[in-house]
Amino acid sequence: MMIMTDPATGKAQKDSASRQKTPASAETPAAPEPTESELVARARRGDLAAYDELVRRYQQRVYATIYHMTSNHEDANDLAQEAFIKAFQALKSFKGGSSFYTWVYRIAVNKTINFLKQRKNRSQMSLNDLDFNVEHDPDLVALISDKTPRREVNLTELQEKLNEAMQRLSEPHRLTVTLHDIQGLSHEEIAKIMECNTGTVRSRLFYARQQLQGYLSDYLK
Amino acid sequence: MRREEEFEQLRRLLALKRHEEPPPGYFDKFSREVISRIRAGERGNHSGEGSWLQRLWAAVESKPIFAGAFGAAVCALLITGILNSEETGVNSPAILNGVSAQAAAPFPQSAPAMALNRPDAAQSFLVTNSSTPSLDSLFDYHLNVQPASATVDLLGDGQ
Repeated sequence: MMIMTDPATGKAQKDSASRQKTPASAETPAAPEPTESELVARARRGDLAAYDELVRRYQQRVYATIYHMTSNHEDANDLAQEAFIKAFQALKSFKGGSSFYTWVYRIAVNKTINFLKQRKNRSQMSLNDLDFNVEHDPDLVALISDKTPRREVNLTELQEKLNEAMQRLSEPHRLTVTLHDIQGLSHEEIAKIMECNTGTVRSRLFYARQQLQGYLSDYLK
Repeated sequence: MRREEEFEQLRRLLALKRHEEPPPGYFDKFSREVISRIRAGERGNHSGEGSWLQRLWAAVESKPIFAGAFGAAVCALLITGILNSEETGVNSPAILNGVSAQAAAPFPQSAPAMALNRPDAAQSFLVTNSSTPSLDSLFDYHLNVQPASATVDLLGDGQ
């Protein structure tokens, strides 16, 4: 069952598909999904099943953020696993001032930035494949068919150029673009994760977009 | 206004990155690997440093590629061992002949054994190296051993 979590509240929400109950499940109502705070409390007592549930809730977004920062699947896999392991080990120090979601995101982001700083040379990209929905994405269809000067461009080439352009940004700028324009987080959420104010987030976002426009001018009108 | 339009195009272009997906089934095993690594870490903590075998097992458990590599290494070692033993068998018949000849030679009954079979065991006896037959192999050795005498008090009565 796919579980989506509201980033702001950290409360689990079932997706629309899982809301449609089958006749069997309608007879015996399922137990309500435990809240994030319940799972955190259980995990702090060493309940690994509860922590497994927390990992499942956030693994996709944590992995995706690290992947967009590194443009490398293997690095993203290692860093995402290490971030969740470190979060478990540090659960006792989690005060609950922010949601577990924000907290684990911060751990992942710090780990990734340290990793990128230590990595002296830019490693080779190891990009994930594009899913089959990409050709039906209205944003991309409009962009490629009508506005891109290089209309013959194929998506794989575009993906490579996009990742190269992202890797040319500094880590804070890349992170801001990743969290806002790719992950869809608000300025406030990004400010909490990056531990800065929203003004800094806005200025970083503006500068990063300007840089990207320069790098990707061939693909923009 | 112009800038906003340009940013809108860039935002659309960045949407492409949302379609970059890890291999199918990746997230099904992700949490399992995390939990397994946490368990391995806890086991390591409980047993102090943890033995090298436990750490190896934890690594194999958390990363299946290690299991494959370990299996391949064991197989390679086994095959190398078999091939080497066959080569040794073919290339050194003299050694084997020598060993078999030596093994076939009857051992003379040892002096202590003879002495123990006798009722008056508490006595002095001579221990000598038996003469070894000459062999044309690596084990063909000629030792000039002088007879050595020893007194063993088997009954412990001081006689």
